[in-house]
Amino acid sequence: MQLTSLLIPLLILFIISFGLMKKIAVYEEFIEGAKDGFSTAVKIMPYLVAMLFAIAMFRASGAMAGLISVIGPLFSVVGIPAEVLPMAIMRPLTGSGSVGVLSELVVQYGADSIIVKVAATMFGSTETTLYVLAVYFGAINVNKTAYALQAGLIADFTGFIAAVFVCLWYFS
Amino acid sequence: MLNYLWAGMIIISIVFSLASDVSDELNNRYKNGSVLNYAYSESSYAGAISFKVAENTIQYSQLESLTADIKIAINNTFPEHWKNIALNQAADNKKEIRADVISIDRINKVIQLRLPEVHWVKLRAVSNAAFDMAEFAIKLAIGLAGVMALWLGLMRIAEKCGLIGYFVRLIYPLLHYLFPRIEKDHPVFGSISLNMAANVLGLGNAATPMGIKAMQQLQELNKTRDKASDEMCMFLAINTSSVQLLPPVTLIAVMGSAVSELMVPIILATSASTIAAVISAKTFARLRNSQCN
Repeated sequence: MQLTSLLIPLLILFIISFGLMKKIAVYEEFIEGAKDGFSTAVKIMPYLVAMLFAIAMFRASGAMAGLISVIGPLFSVVGIPAEVLPMAIMRPLTGSGSVGVLSELVVQYGADSIIVKVAATMFGSTETTLYVLAVYFGAINVNKTAYALQAGLIADFTGFIAAVFVCLWYFS
Repeated sequence: MLNYLWAGMIIISIVFSLASDVSDELNNRYKNGSVLNYAYSESSYAGAISFKVAENTIQYSQLESLTADIKIAINNTFPEHWKNIALNQAADNKKEIRADVISIDRINKVIQLRLPEVHWVKLRAVSNAAFDMAEFAIKLAIGLAGVMALWLGLMRIAEKCGLIGYFVRLIYPLLHYLFPRIEKDHPVFGSISLNMAANVLGLGNAATPMGIKAMQQLQELNKTRDKASDEMCMFLAINTSSVQLLPPVTLIAVMGSAVSELMVPIILATSASTIAAVISAKTFARLRNSQCN
């Protein structure tokens, strides 16, 4: 599991030394590439503010609990445990929020429970769709996102359903 | 759709918190204005009295404090009602209650207290969350500036020495299937393939800068300036479904070693979501283009 932490230093080492080998002015090229990091971040700001404040309000209002009590029974009918619904709803909205949901589930049910396994698989198998959308389209100031959101949410939904059934099958 | 989702979240959260606050108000959940009586005993020095709330002894001296309120530090042993008020009051310090002393009955040795009133808890929480998050969004963007500069700098070196070129050639068949309208040697394929590689390896903070770079290059190819192109939507869909072979670092942090047995389910689920992303993006693109013609 330490592979990921090993990967970044090795990658940096590899790129820099390969650059030196090819006689590239590594320092100068690095600066050239890094130049527009800041201006891009500034461009993203309004998009991030718009997206994150709406999501924060939604989380703080407790509306999610209400939403779950409405759609929870629908999911139990097809065999999806209602306990993992907060993860399914939270995952596309916020990264930190879904980490919070996962930690709560671990405390409540234990890391070995099937509920936590399903939730963790959901967490690992998709991304924070709205954040990615805000950042990627924010960076190029495109406001009309066409069908990007729809396609992303369909992918998320498929991932969640797959996570549930793959886990139920794999751990049975 | 984004407009409705966004507005929906805001409207639902305000309506929901308003409803829950009004119901709190109607049921008087926080017993606003109610007077609490406690029997007290006199302390050794003049004017000072002490009384007990659950297991906690509270000292009060009228001589010392001219204002008629007591600061009471709240801990876990206090009654539920007290803890509720402490947590939900408007004051910033949630570990302390300022109770009003209404009267001290010297004959029966009873002190009367009134706890602070609690109103509009949810609405307050929602508006606080909105402003906190607006601030946090800027911090996040600033943090991203640093990470972006670092990875884009490294990427530039990798590009100059031809590393990215090798890599693109390796996965070109896949790239061509996903983005058939982009010509073979366009530099955007470099950013796209690096972004995918970073995602696959679970390097979230490397994937974002490279993804942004890819979007900027896709925007140069975009004929409809302010509207997302098919390539952008495809790229975004793939990113949100995130093909991951190694689990993300945050998941390892929460789950610990239990992650290792989740590897197979995660790979299966993420493949399903990625396939769904590709199919739906392709279908939407076909629908949009058939409408245009």
